[in-house]
Amino acid sequence: MSIQQQYRSRAKELLQDGSVKMVIGYGEGTTATRRRPIFITNPDDTDRLVLDAACKTNLAGYLLREGLLADQKSVAIFLSPSGVRTINILASESQLSSAQVVVLGFQIQGDTVKALEGTKASDFSPLIAKRKEKRKAQPSHEMTRKLEQMTPAERFAFWEGEFSRCIKCYACRAACPMCWCRRCVVDNNQPQWVNTSSHTLGNLEWNLVRAFHLAGRCVECGNCSEACPVNIPLHLLNRRMTEEVLTAFDHYPGADEHQEPVLASFRKDDPETFIL
Amino acid sequence: MTKILYSDDLTACFSAWRKEGTKVLGPVQQAKTSGFGEVQDAKELDLDLVLTDRTLKELFFPRTEPMLSYSIGKQQIDTSEFLPSEHPCIIFGARPCDAAGMAIDDELFNWDYRDEYWFRRRDRSVIMTIACKESDDFCMCTSLGLAPDSAKGSDILLRPLTSGKGWQVEELTPKGSKALLPIASLLKEGTEEAAPTAEVPVLFDLEACTTWLANPENFESHFWKEISERCIGCGTCTYLCPTCHCFDIQDEGDTYEGIRRKNWDSCSFQLFTMHTSGHNPRNTQSARWRQRIMHKFNYFSDKFSVHSCTGCGRCTRECPVDMGVRETLQAISTLPK
Amino acid sequence: MTETNSTAQKNIYKPAVMKIAAKRDEAPGVKTLRLEFQNPADQEKFAETYRTGMFGLYGIYGEGESTFCVASPETRNDYVECTFRQSGRVTTALAAAEEGDLITFRGPYGNRFPIEEFHGKNLLFIAGGIALPPTRSVIWSCLDQRDKFGKITIVYGARTVADLVYKQEIDEWAEREDVELVLTVDPGGESPDWKHHVGFVPTILEEAAPAPGNCVAVLCGPPIMIKFTLASLKKLGFEEANVYTTLENRMKCGVGKCGRCNVGSVYVCKEGPVFTAEDVSAMPASDL
Repeated sequence: MSIQQQYRSRAKELLQDGSVKMVIGYGEGTTATRRRPIFITNPDDTDRLVLDAACKTNLAGYLLREGLLADQKSVAIFLSPSGVRTINILASESQLSSAQVVVLGFQIQGDTVKALEGTKASDFSPLIAKRKEKRKAQPSHEMTRKLEQMTPAERFAFWEGEFSRCIKCYACRAACPMCWCRRCVVDNNQPQWVNTSSHTLGNLEWNLVRAFHLAGRCVECGNCSEACPVNIPLHLLNRRMTEEVLTAFDHYPGADEHQEPVLASFRKDDPETFIL
Repeated sequence: MTKILYSDDLTACFSAWRKEGTKVLGPVQQAKTSGFGEVQDAKELDLDLVLTDRTLKELFFPRTEPMLSYSIGKQQIDTSEFLPSEHPCIIFGARPCDAAGMAIDDELFNWDYRDEYWFRRRDRSVIMTIACKESDDFCMCTSLGLAPDSAKGSDILLRPLTSGKGWQVEELTPKGSKALLPIASLLKEGTEEAAPTAEVPVLFDLEACTTWLANPENFESHFWKEISERCIGCGTCTYLCPTCHCFDIQDEGDTYEGIRRKNWDSCSFQLFTMHTSGHNPRNTQSARWRQRIMHKFNYFSDKFSVHSCTGCGRCTRECPVDMGVRETLQAISTLPK
Repeated sequence: MTETNSTAQKNIYKPAVMKIAAKRDEAPGVKTLRLEFQNPADQEKFAETYRTGMFGLYGIYGEGESTFCVASPETRNDYVECTFRQSGRVTTALAAAEEGDLITFRGPYGNRFPIEEFHGKNLLFIAGGIALPPTRSVIWSCLDQRDKFGKITIVYGARTVADLVYKQEIDEWAEREDVELVLTVDPGGESPDWKHHVGFVPTILEEAAPAPGNCVAVLCGPPIMIKFTLASLKKLGFEEANVYTTLENRMKCGVGKCGRCNVGSVYVCKEGPVFTAEDVSAMPASDL
């Protein structure tokens, strides 16, 4: 039985026996290569679920949508390892209860998809721990190295060029499961901390603020870069932050749901004597 | 016999226009996206694109533009206006769906009050469109009553020759004819055939849709929640749509001096209609999606006799979660009235 | 009805400069500003185009613009008055402005109360709290031409005595013999020496029981009050077509371009802010 068939049956069972009220997964898109998020509530509709190597979007953000989990019922959701890490982070930030999330875990390997064992986010902790070690051992991406080797002026020019294209559509924010703030910092006007205009300065301010707000929280799912309609390589900023946090604090976001947020916690044995 | 422009003569045309003081813009690749940029040589253009990623509207309605500057003293306020220059320009190689979008927005920007920022740019520009030989999976101009060789909003329509060596030149407006005068000597008379235009299948019954949308009972239909369930509420579809025109007005500066700007805004954003009191008439994403569709295919057409959509397909092409008006209209056209 | 911008080439986003000629505290957080045009051409244009019911965008450069009705009547068009509650960024800045300061004004925009259609009729004005300003501009437009109208009744209520706005003018209306004033505060909002009614506006209205015959009602208030008051008016025999109200919505441009203020297909800035209750009933309620 293919993994797609396996998970369709699983989804159908979960809906039929009432364990979950909804299954969030992938369906066919407008073209043969596209996939789109779908929300199944009827067991007969589980045939619409698709699972293949094109299913790249991190769907976890949909769990926070407009009171979905407010009725204490459970939802099943197709998640790759970065998606499971997302659940852990959202749980640690009190945005959802992992007890309400049934994970249909999968991992894309090249052209194929592998099923992952486990139903709760915590079942995947050993896998995530292995991925942490792998991430630590991973050399910096070529582009990250290139940026690192630039002078500050060159690097600034690079990002200025990239952000001159930004149109402030906030697709990066909307697609990112970690951007759950009901009132984003750019939406405050008393005072207007961040310019709303989409000139290069306004774009730089927005994107840098977002990168900092994600430090220690980003799971590198790639939703932001995929969503960006003008192809800004946002993941480069977040990747750099991730490496920084990994090296400085040995912090791999989403390792488990009891992890403390790296920028919001203080321990007595921290090297600095003050929070800064 | 028709007027023919050969691609070999294109750079010479650009020089002739530029010699007159007219800027030339066309579809170009701009570091990972395609849009409209100023060109001097024909080889800077990318005319093979089915459609540029970014729309023609950016040339008339920039994503951010300074409108006024202010300088405040105790006894007076000095302002100056950043009205666009009247420097003439020719846009060579836009697609008919983009040009049609500009004509649609003309109606809005002139509705009882004339927006000088839009019209100064429109008045100084000549649009030369190239009919489409190819389309992609997202094109749907024919569903909106337009076509790959639509004349709407265009001053000159160029039809690609079957030989691939140039275009038949069709004059559509007096403005367009005037723009051809400096290059008259570079245009030839000929009988070369134009390539057939792209086959763009009609994807939905527009009239069935508008009838359904016009029925007040359908305003509260559960359909809206179902169809917009995956919408994440970003501004991509709005900002890449050739007809979307909603904007915000923002002051940047301090109490003494600064600039008042007009910035793109989107009805998809949660705060778009938020009152200071905290009341938000469109508090759910489904209400906002409904507004988008209703505005484009009901309210706009109600006032201006034309829908606020040209079927360019960018909303679906670029949407991070594969939404766009197409799926909604296809679904509506199958619903009972 | 829309007023066309007759001067060619005018920048519709450029406001007129106004001097604050007078500032008055109406109620906690609520202020009235009387504004005078600094440029005579702007004053002339305003006098030509302003009709009761229209609104404006009042602003401070650096903060932004906020939309309120023009609270002064068309019969007194050599100044512009606005009354607002301090709630957000722009209103906070406006509330902090002093007499003699300069602010900006764009307008007047929108449609108007068809006052000539009210000639010879009885008028019933009903307002709640901070919604008195638009009603007040109609009241004075009518009182300034008193002999054109029949009986005039004003029913006004606020949460507490302190929240009543235009307190001086209320006293003036109370004194007039050609106006019946019915004043109320919500239960618990009365002061020890309160001589008027205590009760919610719809209840007090039903007790006053104004006759619907040959009568036009002008009703302004928060949505919840409008809902209940309209129900009371219907009970009293009023028809929706004879009840006028104003709608508000978030605005930015005020001239039909920014796409923000529509309720269904109706643009509040162009086809409003004045509507009949019949118009409002035809709008999709969930877009309000």
